[in-house]
Amino acid sequence: MAPPWLDVLDETIGACVTHRRPDLEARLREKRAQQLDPKLRVLVVGESKQGKSQLVNALLNAPVCAVGDDITTTVPTFVQHADTPSAALVRNTSAQGSIYHAPTERIAVPIEQVTKQATAHSQHLVRAEIGIPRALLDSGLVLIDTPGVGDTRSAHTASTFATLMQADAVLLVSDATGELTSAEMALLKKVMQACPNVTVVVTKIDLVPGWRTVVERNRALLARAGVAAKLIPVSSALRLRAAKTGDQRLNAESGFPELLACVQRDIVASADLLARRAVAVVASSALTQLVTPLREELTAHDSSHTAATISTLQEAQRRVDELRRRSARWQNVLNDEMADLISDVEYDLRDRTRKILREVDKTYDEADPAIGWDRFEQWLEDNLNEAATTNFAWLMERAEWVAAKVAKNFPVYREDLIPGSVLPDDLLEPVSRLEKPKIEPFSVSQKLFTGLRGSYGGVLMFGLVTSLAGMPLINVISLGAGALFGGKSILDESDQRLKRRQAAAKAAAQRHVDDFFIKFSKDVRDSGRHIQRSLRNHFSTLAEELQETLLESARSAKRAVQDDQTERERRMREGRKELDRLLTLYKRVQALAGPTMELSA
Amino acid sequence: MTLDRVVWSMLQEALAVYRDSPRATAWLRAHAERYTEPVRIAVAGRGRIGKSTVVNALIGDEFTPQGSFVWYRGGTEPRAHVFTGPGRPHEVPIGRRGSRNHVETGQIDRADRVVVEWPARTLRDVVLIDTPSEASPEQVLGDADALLYLMRHVQDDDLKFLQAANDHPIARTAAVHTVAVLARADEIGAGRIDALSSAKQIARRYRRDVAVQPLCQNVVSVAGLLAMAARTLRADEFQALRVLASLGREELEDHLLSADRFVGEQFPLAMEPAVRQALLERFGIFGVRLVTALIRQGFDSQVKLTGQLVQRSGLGELRDSIAVHFTERREVLKARSALLALDVVLRMEPRPGARKLVTDLERVVASAHDFRELRLVAALQAGRTKLPAELQAEALRLVGAEGTSPPARLGFEYEPDAGELREALLDALVRWQAQAADVHAPNDHRRAAQVVVRTCEGLLPHFS
Repeated sequence: MAPPWLDVLDETIGACVTHRRPDLEARLREKRAQQLDPKLRVLVVGESKQGKSQLVNALLNAPVCAVGDDITTTVPTFVQHADTPSAALVRNTSAQGSIYHAPTERIAVPIEQVTKQATAHSQHLVRAEIGIPRALLDSGLVLIDTPGVGDTRSAHTASTFATLMQADAVLLVSDATGELTSAEMALLKKVMQACPNVTVVVTKIDLVPGWRTVVERNRALLARAGVAAKLIPVSSALRLRAAKTGDQRLNAESGFPELLACVQRDIVASADLLARRAVAVVASSALTQLVTPLREELTAHDSSHTAATISTLQEAQRRVDELRRRSARWQNVLNDEMADLISDVEYDLRDRTRKILREVDKTYDEADPAIGWDRFEQWLEDNLNEAATTNFAWLMERAEWVAAKVAKNFPVYREDLIPGSVLPDDLLEPVSRLEKPKIEPFSVSQKLFTGLRGSYGGVLMFGLVTSLAGMPLINVISLGAGALFGGKSILDESDQRLKRRQAAAKAAAQRHVDDFFIKFSKDVRDSGRHIQRSLRNHFSTLAEELQETLLESARSAKRAVQDDQTERERRMREGRKELDRLLTLYKRVQALAGPTMELSA
Repeated sequence: MTLDRVVWSMLQEALAVYRDSPRATAWLRAHAERYTEPVRIAVAGRGRIGKSTVVNALIGDEFTPQGSFVWYRGGTEPRAHVFTGPGRPHEVPIGRRGSRNHVETGQIDRADRVVVEWPARTLRDVVLIDTPSEASPEQVLGDADALLYLMRHVQDDDLKFLQAANDHPIARTAAVHTVAVLARADEIGAGRIDALSSAKQIARRYRRDVAVQPLCQNVVSVAGLLAMAARTLRADEFQALRVLASLGREELEDHLLSADRFVGEQFPLAMEPAVRQALLERFGIFGVRLVTALIRQGFDSQVKLTGQLVQRSGLGELRDSIAVHFTERREVLKARSALLALDVVLRMEPRPGARKLVTDLERVVASAHDFRELRLVAALQAGRTKLPAELQAEALRLVGAEGTSPPARLGFEYEPDAGELREALLDALVRWQAQAADVHAPNDHRRAAQVVVRTCEGLLPHFS
């Protein structure tokens, strides 16, 4: 019949599999295989040079492990029962494989050379195995001598901890030349986690006169740290000498009978209890690791997750409201700014055309339109064009500024917020050409006629006066006066004609500028409205998109809250069930250890 | 100008620059004073490793251990002062407790440090600082120029301590002087009679260990208890030991199996248990074994025995090590401590007037030949600079890794005359000049050779 701890252990392994924790599973399987093995592994650990190997030798009364003054043991050495003395080195054949489950090969070596060989190839070796015929080992006891912990060559330490996982009981060795150091206490606690069955062995009591005080201090230290470990003082040197001389009293002095009794009673005899304790410790540590995240998940479900979903929903709704409020604002800004813009632009245009007209007036107060009309026409056209261009450029500038301002009042920022171009393409159609004013030519015959008409009066007036003086009607004087009068009337006439022409030119220019103004201001207005419309379209499209996004996220948040509710409940139910299962298992694990054990899980 | 003078003038200059800052002035004054003192050696290590025992063995007198820093410095008559807090030190009497000297600090519960002036030959060249085991590396090294670090075996904690000691920019460019001591050599090998020679072998192995070598200049093994007992051996103890040795070897061996047996009831000689207990406390079970064996071997007068014990316990080697690595290098060690102190001031209270000092400090650290020698030693020992094996040994010797006296540098085992030294020096100079000019050699190789050439050139005036 399978022992009860096996069921519990198997169930725990099952739980590890369902929770996808292959690491824990591997550890537990290791433990399971080891517990099913009838061998009892007793690990001898401690800092270097405390007398670990010598302790093993003294326990067995045989020099199986090499002892030396410098650091000697470099690989864990397994000492077990065999009918004839034999030794082997176990080598890790995979290049960088883990210590567990790596393919290994055994190399048989002569028993007296095992340490030498082990030191030579220590980096590839997993362990050394030594078999000797000893009654103590008969029951399946395996003594494991380990390299010192805390040595500078840390590979040794690593292999010690690897073997620790396989131990059923641990002998922690500390020599009597000093009390337990803080490093040793830390080691002890670390060992207790993996294997609760620890005995502290104080060695070399033959060397130290005051070993009893050291033992007392160590007991006090253990008690203060709350470690329930037995403490046994021994002297390997005395024991080995006693074995050589057969001196029973010396053997008793060495303290080994007590240690052996402890090994027999506590370790060999209570193998089942040990197994249960060991399984309890490993399984409960695994279960604790499983339960913790599960519990966290459950609490997270309860509070934070839902809170997060709801806050997402609230945030989405808040942003939709915000968008609505803000879109009224940006529309107002657009309308106001565009109205301002159009009136400003129109005023500017009028101002510019007036300036041109004043210039025209000034020019034609003096100049004769008959001379250089073409040039004037060119000048006017240029000026008007320039005014139109400046004005239009200004419009553009202002329009962009407006777009930016509206964008600023838009609820969110986006890359494409400011439209690339807001302008209609067909702007600035050419205005009708300036029509040339009618210019009456003042021809030679007209001049002759006008001159004759003017001279007639003069000739007659002065002829009559001179006829009184007895001169004929046509004489030099009257002819001269007639010529004067004719000349004057010609001058007068041409002056009048000039004035008429100037007035006509002015009127023509005025008409043309007016035409230009009407046409252009209409264009500007149109463009303004066009800009306004395209801006409005642009921004309202954006706003709609945005609103849709926000609404969608709000909707999904709402959905999430609703979905969450059901999904969450389902998962909560499952989680609780799983947690309950694990906790029951945990209780069973703890029950395994028996009432004497206290588990700090 | 020698390094000594350069650093001294920098200290004076700093005092002038910082004359308006009381804190900096006090600090600099203290360091200027320290600069003229003997080398300060801190003795550090984990608890119960035997720091006080080693210090007592070096002084040649036994003092009761104290819980605080205890400074032992030379003086014409025994005097002790206790420093607590910022106030003035109190003078306290030195009494005796049994065979030990005891500094009566009774009424002062927690002393920052106790300074003992003691007339002893060792203390003429050094100041020894016994440190409490819980002191951090900074505390230990703050006042010390050099370090004796005690340990059983090299363990990670010990290496961490030594690494911390080397972790300062100036400390990195001029490695701190450390001698590692495998204390309690008598406990190695479970107190076998040949434990001491095996401890020496272990020390030799650590000297070549790549993890240990860059952190200390030398590793020696010392049996502290035995060394102290040897230095303070009393006539009554010697008599008791002779009586013990008169017992048959086999018979005595049985009773020396364990400490319990030695002081037990069934002892074959008429010797008071109290006497045996006292011997055990002074010598340890290993010490009693060794001393009785030695007396049997013919070291049967107190003088002979003392000499033999000093040699065997490793105290002689430790003293030589202190002489070679600390006392002989006093100048560079002092300069190093002073430069570290200057660096602290210049960093804590930077000011425009001190800019010249900052550049001077950098220049001295980078270019002073003594520091370059130290750096080369460190680089060669840590393997950062590689030279062919035979050249490496010679380079280390020439730049003073084994002692800075000309014969030690030139590798003479005996006392040579000036002509021989000159010959050897010129020979080395020519050889290393060739190395420095070797275009096929790697860059670091040539640079190392240049340092060695400069060292040889520096030695030349001694012989011309």
